[in-house]
Amino acid sequence: MSFELISPNTLRDALDLLDVDDPSIRPFSGGTALRLMMKSGVFSPSKLVVLRGIPDLSGIEISDDGSLTIGALSTLAEVETSALVARQVPVLAGALKHLSNRRVRNVARIGGAIAHGDPHMDLPPLLSALNAEVIVESRNGRRHIAVEDLVIGYYETLLEPDELIVALRIPAQDDWHSAYRKVTARSADDWPALGVATSISHEGKEIRDIRLVVGAATERPTRLDISEGVLRSEGVAGLPRAVEAAMESVEVMDDSHGSATWKKALLGVELRRSVEEILGRNA
Amino acid sequence: MGDKTMTTTEVGRSLPRLEARQKVTGRANYTHNLKLPGMVHAKVFRSTVPHGKILSIDTAEAASYPGVAAVVTGKDILDVVPEPYYGPAFHDQPILALNKVRYVGEPVAVVLADDPRIAAEAVELIDAVYEELPAVYDETEAMTSDAVVHDELKPAGTFPDLKHLNGRKDTNIALDFHLKQGHADAAFASAAHVFAHSFQTQQTMHTPMEPIISLAEPSGDRLIIHTASQSPSFVRSEVARLLGWSENRVQVKVGHLGGGFGAKLYIKLEALVAALALLCRRPVRLSLSMEEQFYTISKHASTFHIKSAVDKDGRITARKCEVLWNGGAYADIGPRVTQKSGFTATGPYDIAAADIDSYALYTNRPPAGALRGFGIPQLVWAYESHTDLIARELGMDPVEFRRRNILKDGRPHVTGTVMKDAAIDAVLETLAERMRWSEPFDRGEGTVKRGRGVAIGFKACVSPTTSVATVTVAADGSVTLHHATVDMGQGSDTAMAQIVAEVLGVRTEEIRVVDPDTDVTPYDMATLGSRSTFHMGNAVRKAAEHARTQLDDMAKSLGMAETAAGRVKEVFRRTYGMQAGTVVGVGTYIPEYVSPNEDGLSDNVTPFWMIGGTGVEVEVDTETGRTKLLKMVNAADLGTALNPRIVETQLSGAAIMQLGFTVSEEMILDGGQVTNASLADYKIPGIKDIPPVIENCIVDAHTETGPFGAKGVGESATFGVSPAVAEAIQDACGVRLTRLPMTAEAIFHALHGDKK
Ligand SMILES: Cc1cc2nc3c(=O)[nH]c(=O)nc-3n(C[C@H](O)[C@H](O)[C@H](O)COP(=O)(O)OP(=O)(O)OC[C@H]3O[C@@H](n4cnc5c(N)ncnc54)[C@H](O)[C@@H]3O)c2cc1C
Repeated sequence: MSFELISPNTLRDALDLLDVDDPSIRPFSGGTALRLMMKSGVFSPSKLVVLRGIPDLSGIEISDDGSLTIGALSTLAEVETSALVARQVPVLAGALKHLSNRRVRNVARIGGAIAHGDPHMDLPPLLSALNAEVIVESRNGRRHIAVEDLVIGYYETLLEPDELIVALRIPAQDDWHSAYRKVTARSADDWPALGVATSISHEGKEIRDIRLVVGAATERPTRLDISEGVLRSEGVAGLPRAVEAAMESVEVMDDSHGSATWKKALLGVELRRSVEEILGRNA
Repeated sequence: MGDKTMTTTEVGRSLPRLEARQKVTGRANYTHNLKLPGMVHAKVFRSTVPHGKILSIDTAEAASYPGVAAVVTGKDILDVVPEPYYGPAFHDQPILALNKVRYVGEPVAVVLADDPRIAAEAVELIDAVYEELPAVYDETEAMTSDAVVHDELKPAGTFPDLKHLNGRKDTNIALDFHLKQGHADAAFASAAHVFAHSFQTQQTMHTPMEPIISLAEPSGDRLIIHTASQSPSFVRSEVARLLGWSENRVQVKVGHLGGGFGAKLYIKLEALVAALALLCRRPVRLSLSMEEQFYTISKHASTFHIKSAVDKDGRITARKCEVLWNGGAYADIGPRVTQKSGFTATGPYDIAAADIDSYALYTNRPPAGALRGFGIPQLVWAYESHTDLIARELGMDPVEFRRRNILKDGRPHVTGTVMKDAAIDAVLETLAERMRWSEPFDRGEGTVKRGRGVAIGFKACVSPTTSVATVTVAADGSVTLHHATVDMGQGSDTAMAQIVAEVLGVRTEEIRVVDPDTDVTPYDMATLGSRSTFHMGNAVRKAAEHARTQLDDMAKSLGMAETAAGRVKEVFRRTYGMQAGTVVGVGTYIPEYVSPNEDGLSDNVTPFWMIGGTGVEVEVDTETGRTKLLKMVNAADLGTALNPRIVETQLSGAAIMQLGFTVSEEMILDGGQVTNASLADYKIPGIKDIPPVIENCIVDAHTETGPFGAKGVGESATFGVSPAVAEAIQDACGVRLTRLPMTAEAIFHALHGDKK
């Protein structure tokens, strides 16, 4: 019931403390999610490895190819207010403004927000639509995982217990335009009941390519492949069919935010609105 | 002292709360900050079944856990409290469960330890075995169910009107209240129109920012209880009664409260910490987590069947009301809600004939008590929704329909009490004006529709109740007020000091207000039901006047003018030959009142009426059900405002709280278990949920019997919110909701057909 709190000063030390066979040892970044889980008794750690003291895991940088690298320990507030983020991926800055409240954003870190695996989160679907990837490290080395592939189920990710997300990489968006539509059911600063992330590469009303991801209403962030296919082949004229396909193909959960029936309807409405928003905005 | 003819400006002045600086600089005195030498922390082990016989409680492992001082069960409590049942209306609630548990979350045992975390860990090691009994959760089912929550009713002996319930068996009806005025059946038989509807409300929470906390400290043959309580005098007498002690052996001290709203009334943790402190002979602290509050006290869920007879001119000729109050496992103040609020169930309308049946029901849910409005918001929700539905069916404008039926001063209410100082029509007219009701209204376009609604309600004040205050004037002329009204954020200390200042001709800021401490502050019934400004305000005024009379007499006997403003010091010096002496002014107030007869009738049923109303404009996204409040107007008759700025914040605060109960808040139960017992899942409105425009209007009014014309206001702006929103939604998109909360999803299903 009691646990050990350890604050390593280097990434190496932090990685050494983790154990691939022991999920009761957990990295602790902002702690906003972990402490709720500990308080409600759903998680009792044996050891918490506090990441905050590791110097080289924060900061936001832009590379020559226009991609952004965001250190895993950057707070959500740092990302929200970063001039680089505002310029390169304004949709992310905008989405963060509606993520909970300032107190949470000042504490929660980007790594924690991606690794947590709770379906009711805003960033995993949005970052998937932005084609972002995480850089993951363990004692055995590094690997890159697309955010889209990271969450594999309800609170389940591809991360091994001895792996840490060290950074997030968001590619240059070039001619891609994005929107994130969030619906909350119980209060404005609630976790999402539904999140729809849309990225479109287009010329006027002509859709060249599209990525659609639904989150929160589904067990894990889910790519809307069929709808994407319809829009790629039929263009905006196919929107009603794409919406219908999304509502038919996606498995929406009943939960404390609302019934599947309602959220399915919301998905249709918000998907349509997000495509219209992007094409309207950049027409 | 101040010239009697000179009206000073203390009353009616919008000065900031006296304790504001202390609060924002973190220096205010809250019970949470108190650390007593040698104190132990208590943690409660709670029932996991909704209704069951306790077969065994295994505490051995918890007791031997390192750091644990003691583990206490209901049986141990009997050593210090042989009859451990408490409650304001019924003595039905055991300090810790005995033999039976009646709801999930009921306290069954307690672990005491020096370290609160150790106590919490050891609680996990307790194992209780229950034989489950059939449970009942719904108020309608409780009327007839075979599952009976209490084997026998145990009304508190102090209330003569509950005596007939003594020993009643095989029922969940804790109290039934009936009112019969005129001949309702005849009026229905000859009515041009008859309308009948049913409405429901959900169980919700007070969620004060400061969770419930109490400490008890043995001191010789006495006990000191430090507690965040709205009713220190009640705590003292009830703990004394439980212990079989005289009241002066129990001292109850209260600091500032971080919100109360009715959650901290009567006995909450005080009896438990008192018993624990006596058992372990050490100071004991018990502080609930936010989550544990969900298992402590809540607001009644309710079902209301209402039926009206209306004549061809749109006048209501008779009304029948049946109200079922879901009181949960223990009565708390529910029976009083049933009765004292029940008799206003026909609404602020001039109706000649009425039948009211109001039932307090036991169920296997967490107990329900008073929550900002004492049952009135549940009633207004139903009768004002009903009013709008009738207006729609008659094809009348809803404001016009209300005008035609409104209850005016000089006319009798259905109880028989003639209305006085009740500006119901002024509240309605203020709303109509501020809502620009007669002007064209933008109804929105496309799939986003706009609508508006207004609703009004009223409340009688619980009666008869007593308040006592003392005002002492020191020999240097400085003034101290002793009173036991608890300032939980509503600004009562400031308002009371303003009254003293007005009478004695001093500045409000110079008056010292002593925190409630039953050793020094005199009796007050409790801080509840918006009674304090009126009752304690009158007592404080009398106490200040009593002090002033004595000072005037002293001045007179010295041959000084009685209006010796600023010369109090001199009066004392010349009277006692040096700066010495004290003048103590005492004021006691109890209003006149006539208890209802067997038909529920009385010609003086309340010392004053609170009137409140709300108008809203909403925008409904008809594709999703999501609804935005664009504008809210609150209006109230509170007599003359003692401090207009504080009054306005009471109006907006009450309305926003009720808005949460209207559109989102709900305690969700699954098999008796609250499944959203935390602020992560039970959402109260945040800053982004409140309307961008909120106007708060104090209607021009005066209460003849109130202190400087004032009366209560803490709840008035809760009344109209829910029905106004329901009407605005229907006005916008054509669907009528009859159950709270009106969530986006509920609106969506109403628009697009039922849930699959
Ligand atoms: C009241 C409230 C409301 C919220 N509302 C929203 C909302 O609307 N939308 C939203 O998206 N989020 C919301 N959040 C935030 C979200 O739920 C998580 O709490 C937050 O994103 C977690 O970040 P953290 O840094 O605090 O993570 P922590 O709590 O420290 O960790 C979360 C999980 O990630 C793991 N972890 C942390 N860092 C790493 C790393 N670098 N590498 C590998 N694993 C790691 C931890 O071991 C743990 O399993 C809300 C939070 C709160 C408290």
